[in-house]
Amino acid sequence: MDVSFLYMVGQAILLAVLAPFIAGLIKKIKARLQNRRGPGIFQVYYDLHKLFLKDSVVSPTVSWIFSVAPFIYFAAALGAAALVPGLTSLMPEIGSRFVDLFMLLYLFVLGRFFLALASLDAGSSFGGMGGAREMFIAVLVEPAILLALLTVAFRTHSSGLTAMAGVGADESSALALIFAAAAFFIVLIAESSRIPVDNPDTHLELTMVHEGMVLEYSGRWLGMIVWATAIKELVLIILFSTFFLPWPIVGWSFSAKVVMLVGKILLCIAAITLVETVTNKMRLFKVPGFLAVAALLGLLAIVAQ
Amino acid sequence: MQFVNIYLSMILLFAVGLSATPLLRHNLKLANIFAHGIATLGSLAAVLCASFIFVEGPQAFSIPVSLPFLEFSVRVDYLAAYFLAIIGIAGAAASIYAFDYGREYFGRRFMVMAELYLTFLLAMILVVTISHIFAFIVVWEVMSVASFLLVGQEYSRPANTKAAYLYLVMTHVGTAFITIAFLLLWKTSGSMDFAALTGWRGDEWTRNAIFICSLIGFGTKAGVIPVHIWLPKAHPAAPTHVSALMSGVMLKTAIYGMCRFYLEFLGTGPVWWGELILLLAIVSAVLGVLYAMMEHDIKSLLAYSSVENIGIILLGIGAGMVFMSRGLSSFAVLAWSAALFHVLNHAIFKSLLFFGAGAVVNATHTRDIEHHGGLIKAMPYTAIFFLAGAAAISALPPLNGFVSEWLIFQSLLILPEALSGVAGKLSAALLISLLGLTSALAAACFVKAFGVVFLAKPRSVSAAEAHEAPCLMLGSMGFLAIMCLGIGFIAPWLRVMLQSILIPFLSAEAVDNMVGAKWYLLGAQSGSAAGGLSLPLLGAVFVVGLVFAMALYRVCGCKNRLSGETWTCGIVPAARMEYTATGFSGPIRRAFGKILRPRTETVINRNISPYSGRRVIFEVHITHVFDELVYQPLNRYIVKLSRFMKEIQTGSVQLYVGYIMVVTIAVLIWSTRW
Repeated sequence: MDVSFLYMVGQAILLAVLAPFIAGLIKKIKARLQNRRGPGIFQVYYDLHKLFLKDSVVSPTVSWIFSVAPFIYFAAALGAAALVPGLTSLMPEIGSRFVDLFMLLYLFVLGRFFLALASLDAGSSFGGMGGAREMFIAVLVEPAILLALLTVAFRTHSSGLTAMAGVGADESSALALIFAAAAFFIVLIAESSRIPVDNPDTHLELTMVHEGMVLEYSGRWLGMIVWATAIKELVLIILFSTFFLPWPIVGWSFSAKVVMLVGKILLCIAAITLVETVTNKMRLFKVPGFLAVAALLGLLAIVAQ
Repeated sequence: MQFVNIYLSMILLFAVGLSATPLLRHNLKLANIFAHGIATLGSLAAVLCASFIFVEGPQAFSIPVSLPFLEFSVRVDYLAAYFLAIIGIAGAAASIYAFDYGREYFGRRFMVMAELYLTFLLAMILVVTISHIFAFIVVWEVMSVASFLLVGQEYSRPANTKAAYLYLVMTHVGTAFITIAFLLLWKTSGSMDFAALTGWRGDEWTRNAIFICSLIGFGTKAGVIPVHIWLPKAHPAAPTHVSALMSGVMLKTAIYGMCRFYLEFLGTGPVWWGELILLLAIVSAVLGVLYAMMEHDIKSLLAYSSVENIGIILLGIGAGMVFMSRGLSSFAVLAWSAALFHVLNHAIFKSLLFFGAGAVVNATHTRDIEHHGGLIKAMPYTAIFFLAGAAAISALPPLNGFVSEWLIFQSLLILPEALSGVAGKLSAALLISLLGLTSALAAACFVKAFGVVFLAKPRSVSAAEAHEAPCLMLGSMGFLAIMCLGIGFIAPWLRVMLQSILIPFLSAEAVDNMVGAKWYLLGAQSGSAAGGLSLPLLGAVFVVGLVFAMALYRVCGCKNRLSGETWTCGIVPAARMEYTATGFSGPIRRAFGKILRPRTETVINRNISPYSGRRVIFEVHITHVFDELVYQPLNRYIVKLSRFMKEIQTGSVQLYVGYIMVVTIAVLIWSTRW
């Protein structure tokens, strides 16, 4: 292995540390948009701290799957954070050639697979319902996310993330970019369990998707799941910013690149909170239509290219 | 040591097994050990033959048999050796599994099963090594008939005999088409030897006819939709070790036939050949996994997932053929090697999953997963091996299924190089996204399968009384589970091997020989400038993540763990409250309702108790599109035709004499005209 591996690990840890902040920021902006003061932007750190100090309550029904799943979910999210072209795309000389789009996407699948298994483990219908719905939404998301990313991948003729980040969001085909960005934004909302697909703030029966799936978890395990979910959302936001928000950063000075990336991330956060504020949770069986729109936009982007 | 000697001693081994096993019929225990011991040794000999080829190069020999048309000529090139190795590995695992599993069949026609099992295994080995048209058709038929009889092993259940006869009809339709394809080849080339058919060039019509016939023929055996209908019925009916071989290996003999025809005999064809295969492939993949998702008979679920995986293999073959017809031989090598890699992987994890399913069915005496549950506690080893298979088939990194699906994704990603224009790009994008849909559905399907069978509380008395499988069954499952883990990491080496198989057919340059310098990289394209897949890197990243999570957990966390019952709103949790398989697949059933067309039946009986009792029976049936569109009308037509024939078949002798008279006169008139 080369030195880029160490950079990747460093990036993963950096993103892991930053992820709760981004999650807190989203909560704060959302609260302000709803005329509430909301919790402080560091609240998610306090929550994680609290969860890690709490006792765990474990059902006697569960097996080892239940205790292994949070680790795998967390490790998969951290792995995705290592692979995503964030820091590594800012410094092309250290960008690894071996990070691959499908590697990243299938790490998410790995984490979800085990968390969904754990949701069935405790034997309650709440968990099973959440797990079933999470897998259902994942099935709908998969074609849409691939179509959106293919507009970039077709241009490089490969699925290497570093190569893709190199050509990502150049302005040669603005129309295609708009379609693909819209498609990926819908996917981003669905994948990070946000309104209108899911509601991250509650586990009531009607909105029971991701939060329902992890209902049986408590204490440290829940802390890890919450943290991993925040990391996963940040990874998706970075993917969106790198590939679909215009203004290529190739050839800029390092500090300008960092400012640019942070600016893009903030823009993306603003868009997410705006959508969460102005829309309602949609019925579960309206979600296929919503994600079909994303898939169609992705197809349009490929045609327009 | 000559190759002929090893090969013939393998055949001799099987011959001894076949002839000596009946002598032991009074001592079933001994017969079990003897027959399955011979099968294990024979399978290992097949692996030995294959490795001999890979070391020493292709071998061929011929033994004349004093029968017209027949010649026992054997030619094992790299392609045949690869399939031979797959048969050997899966066959050895199945035979070891059968030592323990076979005991279930003592007193239930065990001797017949053991004999047929040996015949089946031998026939599969012969199918991939024989290189003579007539002999090939004979052993192909032996393989089909042996497997038909094994499907009908438990003939007392009407469903099994029905499945067996459906299989018999379908496989003969397939054999008929294969025979036509071979006869056309023989007629135009004048030779019955495979070696003479290499590089055969006929006119366009004959080539197209041979392509269509071989596609239908081998497609039927492989279970490609729409000629798949026998597969999900026949595979579950057979004894488990045979189901595993049928799903894991017998389907691959059809893929072997396709490789022979499309790589060797027909060679480069028009683009529509590849496009047609891509279309069939994606339909098989998506529909196969959708039906698998809806099943709650565990063995049928696995059988439908075989249809899906055959679709994934054919995606690679179809893409390879498109590249071949455009002259992009290095891309063709990539696509074909992806397909061949998935052949190996599917053989391993599908056998493993069938073994796990067989152990579960043995322990609970039911195939309905709604009556399983909680088995992870009673059968911990079976559970972990089944989980390895389920994770591999759902293409989770870093297992082997992920690597071959990644290669298929890569070959589809460069499809626009061959199919230019927007249409090419669009079709490649659709294929990739539908393959993504397929693998997401497979993940959902196996979450359901593993979750409902092994997790939570037992859903029935028999599941609660289940016990762990015997050690040899566990041993063969463990062996395959380790292969699922390991094969992904040796993928770069396997890739080089697959290239050496394909390069003689595709006249391509070696793409990557990364062994040595870059052992950790599996490149997609030549020079791998665009990057590639590095499984060790992925593994390292994941391990770092895991270590970080563990450290976090150990160092920072509160160590107290309290036991508290699962939250069910204050009621005492019971198995009936668990989420069922039907419920788990519910959202997908509804979202894909246009394809699946579910019909629900609800029966409510309110007369159980005057206060609260109410028994609800809820059933969901899905409609199989091709059954309704193709097979039921066909069936009706055949029945109508038979009714018409009945009019002529009155049973009166005088009338038959009359028929004979008429035919004789007609023949006489016809013959005098020439």
